[in-house]
Amino acid sequence: MIILEGKNITKRFAGLVAVGDVDFYLQQGEILGLIGPNGAGKTTLVNVIAGVYAPSEGDVFFKGKQISGKKPYQIGRMGISRTFQVVKPFPGMTVKENAAVGAMYGAGGKNKSAKEAIQRAEEILEFVGLADQMKKGADQLNVASRKRLEMAKALAMDPELVLFDEVMAGLNFSEIDQAVELIKKIRERGMTILIIEHVMRAIKNVCDRIFVLHHGEKIADGTVEDVLNDETVIKAYLGRRYKELTH
Amino acid sequence: MEKKTLRNFLICGLILLIVVLFPLVNNNFIIRFGTDILMFAIMASAWNIIGGYTGYASFGNVVFFGIGGYITAVLMEKAGLHFSIAYLAAGGGAALFAVLIGLPVLRLRGHYFAIATLGVAEAMKALVQNLEITEGNSGIYLPMLDLPIQGQYYFFFYMMLGTLIMTLLATYFMLNAKLGYSLIAIREDEDAANSVGINATLSKTIAFALSGFFTGLAGSIYAYQQAFLKPDAVFTVHTTVKMIVMAVFGGMGKLFGPLIGAFGIEIISETLSNYFLVAHTLFFGTVVILAIVFTPKGLIDMITQRKFGITYFLENIREHRI
Repeated sequence: MIILEGKNITKRFAGLVAVGDVDFYLQQGEILGLIGPNGAGKTTLVNVIAGVYAPSEGDVFFKGKQISGKKPYQIGRMGISRTFQVVKPFPGMTVKENAAVGAMYGAGGKNKSAKEAIQRAEEILEFVGLADQMKKGADQLNVASRKRLEMAKALAMDPELVLFDEVMAGLNFSEIDQAVELIKKIRERGMTILIIEHVMRAIKNVCDRIFVLHHGEKIADGTVEDVLNDETVIKAYLGRRYKELTH
Repeated sequence: MEKKTLRNFLICGLILLIVVLFPLVNNNFIIRFGTDILMFAIMASAWNIIGGYTGYASFGNVVFFGIGGYITAVLMEKAGLHFSIAYLAAGGGAALFAVLIGLPVLRLRGHYFAIATLGVAEAMKALVQNLEITEGNSGIYLPMLDLPIQGQYYFFFYMMLGTLIMTLLATYFMLNAKLGYSLIAIREDEDAANSVGINATLSKTIAFALSGFFTGLAGSIYAYQQAFLKPDAVFTVHTTVKMIVMAVFGGMGKLFGPLIGAFGIEIISETLSNYFLVAHTLFFGTVVILAIVFTPKGLIDMITQRKFGITYFLENIREHRI
């Protein structure tokens, strides 16, 4: 079943085409990787899905319902949550409170009291491995923990679809491996995932399918194997020496 | 944890008891001074809801005070209604005004919001100066409270005290409900707040309305106490500045911060003007600047952290790079 679908998505900023006529879809339970060089329009596409921008043309459908044109908070409550590339914690709150806010207002928040939301936040922090830092201020965390908190906030919303925008940037190898394990665990919980990443080591490990943006246009879409061997993708993004470097 | 809650509860109860008994052992001048402190404590605490917790520094909160006062004056003088009705209508009217003005103004962030609210207060002053029903610049009289002098002092003191307790209780319950979390989230990062599903416009408007409601109640009591209102005096920007200074001095975004700030500022300013007739504002300014430099998180932070030494001050200066 297709859970998210974008049809002819175009987003222009005063004449500059950031995303041009892109079609995409996500199957329920799938992990889709979105890759491409800097400035390709990846984050813009996430912002269009999350409602930060309305698309200039085209429509986004979530479970068959049109969501383009809705506000970010409405989309968040419908069951799509996202992380920010430059993490956006609530610095004046504790780690627990940060996650609790997600639990209060996300898709699962409507029937939760403040107390129940805090309990839910504790479960989620346990799940992402931040249980021992719950009482710390969000501004006291290191980079890896901040990225985890960003994911915890999104997961606490009990979404059906999560959009991870470069949650592994700036992490070292062992932290990346931990994050990959975490993403696999998230999928086991039945969530669908769209992941933007430059870390190919992670992309290769978790994605079922990849699609590639270049100058705002889709240049490839298919299985990991096919896309990473695609001539256009190698030329536009990966580079000739990619194979030598990773093998 | 349990013990701590019990202790805090006892401290609050003790302070409340002292304040409740305060008028019985003091002369009328002191009671009046206490009433003023309580009034400013209400307004600073109400400002704290929008300015401290939500992070929207309103420079026009005096508009709610004025509206509360004038609604009371008009309803009592022109419509002949009882104070109890005028009091509630004053709060409700100010809250309604906050919703109406908040819808456009709360879209602005930071300095733009501050300037816009400043403009709203000035515009309202001009409006009241020129309306017939408010009797314009000549001012409007209210019926006098029908009580002996001593009873009047008690009445206004306890009205202010009751309203202050209501303001603090409402803030307390708000903080433990979802609304409080949403406000702090908006203050910390509004875009992130939107993305976790918070309807920021709605939360901000409710916060602004609550702030307006309690400020309006203070204005209502003030009007009845004065028995005469003039637009210039009621809508002065000085009052807004005072609310903000008190909230910052005591501790923004803390439940009891503005209350402590109101006590502190009023007592310091009263003492200074007793000793230095001419230069007291100069000294007062110096005290406020020193307080902001050494304790930017407010007096409440010093009290709750129990840090009074020089290291605490130096730590603050280093942290805030002054």
